[in-house]
Amino acid sequence: MTLLGDVARWFADPAHYQGSDAVQTRLLEHAAVSGLAVLTGLLVALPIGLYLGHTGRFGFIAVNVANIGRAIPSLAAIALAIPIAGTLLGVQNGLGFWPTFLALIPLAIPPILTNAYVAVRGVDRDVIEAGRGMGLGEAAVLRVIELPLALPLILAGIRTAAVNVVATATLGALVAFGGLGRYIVDGLALQEYDRLFAGALLVALLAIAVEVAFGTFERAAVSPGIRVQQGAL
Amino acid sequence: MTSTRGATLEFRDVSKRYGGQLAVDQLSFKVPAGRICILVGPSGSGKTTSLKMVNRLIEPTAGSILIDGRDVLREEPTALRRRIGYVIQQVGLFPHQTIAENVGTVPRLLGWPKARIAARTEQLLALVGLEPSRFAGRYPAQLSGGERQRVGVARALAAEPPVMLMDEPFGAVDPIVRDRLQNEFLRIQRDQGTTVLFVTHDIDEAIKLGDRVAVMRGGKLVQYAPPGELLAHPVNAFVAEFVGSDRGLKRLALLTVGGMDLDTNVARAAVSPNAPILSPASTLREALIRMLASEAQVGVVLDGQRYLGLLTLSKIGKMIRSDA
Repeated sequence: MTLLGDVARWFADPAHYQGSDAVQTRLLEHAAVSGLAVLTGLLVALPIGLYLGHTGRFGFIAVNVANIGRAIPSLAAIALAIPIAGTLLGVQNGLGFWPTFLALIPLAIPPILTNAYVAVRGVDRDVIEAGRGMGLGEAAVLRVIELPLALPLILAGIRTAAVNVVATATLGALVAFGGLGRYIVDGLALQEYDRLFAGALLVALLAIAVEVAFGTFERAAVSPGIRVQQGAL
Repeated sequence: MTSTRGATLEFRDVSKRYGGQLAVDQLSFKVPAGRICILVGPSGSGKTTSLKMVNRLIEPTAGSILIDGRDVLREEPTALRRRIGYVIQQVGLFPHQTIAENVGTVPRLLGWPKARIAARTEQLLALVGLEPSRFAGRYPAQLSGGERQRVGVARALAAEPPVMLMDEPFGAVDPIVRDRLQNEFLRIQRDQGTTVLFVTHDIDEAIKLGDRVAVMRGGKLVQYAPPGELLAHPVNAFVAEFVGSDRGLKRLALLTVGGMDLDTNVARAAVSPNAPILSPASTLREALIRMLASEAQVGVVLDGQRYLGLLTLSKIGKMIRSDA
């Protein structure tokens, strides 16, 4: 009970909305590194997943890459990213934003790649054959048929990636990055549990916001014809 | 409605080999413009493979396929396919597109202006018996199997193709709907004048719809003939068995009372009042059933009010014997 009250008081304190440790600053840092990591993962994984799904070849690559990506512990990935970022981008970049960003990318890729592959692969072969038979070229088959029909699963993959990344970006605080993890790590170190809980709550809220945003986007982007098919309309 | 003129379609020594297996073996036949040719045969006879070689979903190993004298192998496949209507059993409508969008697929690929696509879509939906204002905005999942199949036909006809390929298009609907779809298909085909290559394993469908029937077995063409000819003179035991032991009866369904030699020696007044009244347009099969059901065993043939003569069982028997 007292902890809840402390957390509420923490949020009510205007001092927590000022300076470099302000809630809005940390929130923005967290969202920025997460957003950029997901976007980068998307740019890498989506074209590969769509291509593999369309051709139906090298499916094992999609699945294995996904499994490797999932098997690496996030903390280890961040630790590994320190020397990598240092080497690639200069020693001054070996801590903070860059290792966090680099470590989050392999976390974003697997669900996007696997879902894109499985989704495109799973499109009804008869529909594709009908499309080809009517004179759609390969690019048109992907654009006009496979992509819209695979969209719900593809979006689900991106959403999973985004939620994972938002949750894991918390670890960035361990390598001197800001973000909401700052509150958790500092709260733990200083035994300020109100701060720790406030940080945890903010991360959870951000993750939920991502879920809700994707759900809204999916309803707008997915054809009602597919929802009719799934019996949701 | 402007009717499209169908193209001639010719297979010339067409073969398809998969490894050591010949799926289609030196297939040759011609379909005249605007006619329906049915490819029929048991599974594995090569009929679907033959059909898909026309729009090059499958490439022939040897031979040529000519549409209006032009070899399809010399054309760019996507351009070729846009000029050939294609209907498959599972229909393959795009579930994420409305009915109107589905029907407009090929016109969109061909870059027609929007207004022309909209007008054509409306015209086609009406043609296949789907009220445009009710159906245009719906999605395939909201339609029955028969309605979806009609949309499939409308979509295939959208860009007025001179040739249409149909792969067991009515195989997945129930018999009553199938019968209605077949009748509508015949009406539309006559109206549009499209040349049709149609695959089925159902000999009754082949006889009902075909102007020509190509019976295939093991990749080879066994017999190519109009349905009446196929029923009257099967070339071998395989065809005879395939068309069925009741081929005589099936044939009666293709012949009309008007084409028969009638008995004109009996005055109408002398005929039993139980005798059924037949019109020259009714089929011999229908006439036979009504004659057998009545005690008279003869039928009175009237063209409107005009008495043409009597149809007797022995006349029907004589017709069957003369051909068999």
